[in-house]
Amino acid sequence: MLFQAIYTLTDLRVLLRETAPLHEFDAEQRAQVQRLLDNLERQIGSLKQEMLK
Amino acid sequence: MRCGAGIDARMVDELAINIDPIQAGGRLTADAMKAVIAYGDGYSVCDNCRTPNRLDYISKPPIAQFHKDLAAWLNMDAARVVPGARRGFQAVAHTYVNKGDPVLLSSLAHYTEFLAIEAAGGVAREIPANAQNIVTADAAAEKIEEVKRGSGRLPVLLFIDHVDYQYGNVHDARGIVKVAHQYDIPVLCNGAYTVGIMPVDGKDLGADFIVGSGHKSMAAPAPSGILAATAERAQEVFRMTAITGDMTGRKFGIKEPEMMGCTLMGVTLMGMMASFPHVKERVKHVDRELERARIVHQALLSIQGTKILSEFPRKHTLTRVDTTGSFDRVAQSHKKRGFFLSGALGEKGVAGIIPGATRVWKFNTYGMTKAQAQYLAQVFVTIAQDNGLAIA
Repeated sequence: MLFQAIYTLTDLRVLLRETAPLHEFDAEQRAQVQRLLDNLERQIGSLKQEMLK
Repeated sequence: MRCGAGIDARMVDELAINIDPIQAGGRLTADAMKAVIAYGDGYSVCDNCRTPNRLDYISKPPIAQFHKDLAAWLNMDAARVVPGARRGFQAVAHTYVNKGDPVLLSSLAHYTEFLAIEAAGGVAREIPANAQNIVTADAAAEKIEEVKRGSGRLPVLLFIDHVDYQYGNVHDARGIVKVAHQYDIPVLCNGAYTVGIMPVDGKDLGADFIVGSGHKSMAAPAPSGILAATAERAQEVFRMTAITGDMTGRKFGIKEPEMMGCTLMGVTLMGMMASFPHVKERVKHVDRELERARIVHQALLSIQGTKILSEFPRKHTLTRVDTTGSFDRVAQSHKKRGFFLSGALGEKGVAGIIPGATRVWKFNTYGMTKAQAQYLAQVFVTIAQDNGLAIA
């Protein structure tokens, strides 16, 4: 899960590169950002559960 | 934000369009970034190294297969990974060049080719580029004859840059190889700006060696590169060790002296391998890259007094431009002098131009999206207009 979360952030990083310098997302990119952030929240939740149990 | 004491996190490419001429093709893919995170530890690829102990025999991660795929992709017979293209030049020069041997390279050759010749004790002899800054087969033939007449010896090796670093021009590598082979001179084709950017076919070029740069053109971390060879030349440059310790009697298996044993034992190789599927795909789309470069070229050429010094129309996205008659005119009276251009670009989110450069400079649009190319084109025109330059 740790790597999944880091890799989700990496995908977000690449999206920032592809849209630099304005970072204005089209509809497809916005949907991708939403999906990645949702995944990240889930992954962080799992990490909390596993590492703090 | 810091990575460690005194080390700021680098966010150049996240915050700006980076047009640095040497950085564009080495920007990592997402998969390479992920590999870098997982394989950052020193000898990270050696977990499953088994006899025979050599990097290109490791099957997990699939390094052995990668070497085969790399050679096949370049249509060569054998390939090794090396710590940068320069180490490929060095291995080949050290194999063929002895003290005082003449070695040919072009007047646009990268400095590391000179250093490789120097380290081997050779004498550099330059093939002149023509008025269009192209190195031709005729020029190579004339230089071979000149060296032969002058020294009574033939060059022992010839380096030719497939695309040079100064103009980004495509040279007649195939024609030059053909000429050199008529004299039995082996040829190293320097693909530091082509392998990973555009299709490269070693057999079609006829080259004895193809060298590529991972960090320059294969979306890999530095220092990384590749050295590919024909079967005949592979036996020479990738020869195995024969040395024995006189006291211990130790021998060193199948290690290769020119490679100094194993080469890229961790993050560099894994980054290169992770990017490889993407690199194989992207070389098929060089036309798309050139189309985006054209958007920027047209904008620059619309600024009165601006010239493109590279061959035109462009065949590569690395471009040398002369703005002596445009941006440098502004610099003469601007309060920031020559720094106004890089400053104005920086304010608009464009990085990668040498601060202070307003006369002759280079840029590279490789990897840009169409929207970024259009934005960059508009930025150049806006800066020109804001500073009173005429737009055609």
